[in-house]
Amino acid sequence: MIRFRPPVREVDRDEDGPLFVVDIGDDEVALVRKLVGELRIMLTDDDALDDSDRRVLLVRLFPVVHPDDEELEAEYQRLMREELVASKLAAFDIVEAMLSPKRTEPATEGELVAFMQALNSIRLVLGTMLGVTDDPDADEVTPGLEDSPEYHLYGYLSWLLEWCVRALSGTI
Amino acid sequence: MPATLQPTEVREPDLDERTSEDRPWIVIVWNDPVNLMSYVTFVLQKLFGYSHEKATELMLDVHHKGKAVVANGSREQAEMHVFRLHEHGLWATMEHDGE
Repeated sequence: MIRFRPPVREVDRDEDGPLFVVDIGDDEVALVRKLVGELRIMLTDDDALDDSDRRVLLVRLFPVVHPDDEELEAEYQRLMREELVASKLAAFDIVEAMLSPKRTEPATEGELVAFMQALNSIRLVLGTMLGVTDDPDADEVTPGLEDSPEYHLYGYLSWLLEWCVRALSGTI
Repeated sequence: MPATLQPTEVREPDLDERTSEDRPWIVIVWNDPVNLMSYVTFVLQKLFGYSHEKATELMLDVHHKGKAVVANGSREQAEMHVFRLHEHGLWATMEHDGE
């Protein structure tokens, strides 16, 4: 049996800081790229989802900031919503470049942070789809979805995110 | 000769009459079963410079009590903190301190 190596680890260091490798298979890279592409469409294509589906699925990506004050909430969203969308899209751009088949250099800390943010954004949407809860009196996900592809995908992304956190924790 | 002006009583505002804009804001992170505990701890360390121990304590408050105050400051500062927490996918809100 081959000795297990962390899929995300620091491999080198240059004058700007640590460098990392995301050591996952080509099929896993393709999967993450596909998911990032799908989330990009959800954020940018008004025709990809109807408004109620979009609101529900993306609720964790764009939380309400002032739950008790509609006026302040409207003002905050008017000023910050587009900026938050732009920030998420910028992270997706970084991830797509980082996972490009042509890319040979290791990832910088900033790139790995963007990768981590993108993984978590996908998990937040999947978690909403699955009805994930930590209520001890309820099932972890909506009954009937325990063996769904989405739940396995959610588990895989959680595993990968955990390794990103471990790798990056050495930078703090 | 000008008439003597009658003294006028000037009422100083009480501290609790300060405008709402004067009061500091707090930033609250809420429990979300999707976010990993290790991830929340890491984000709190990274964004606010907390030690691992302090960030873990706040994360556990979020997990067990449902929420934790992670920062405070002016409205602009609180908005920036909330924005950065949302960039990382944490569920954050802001409100006036003492509400």
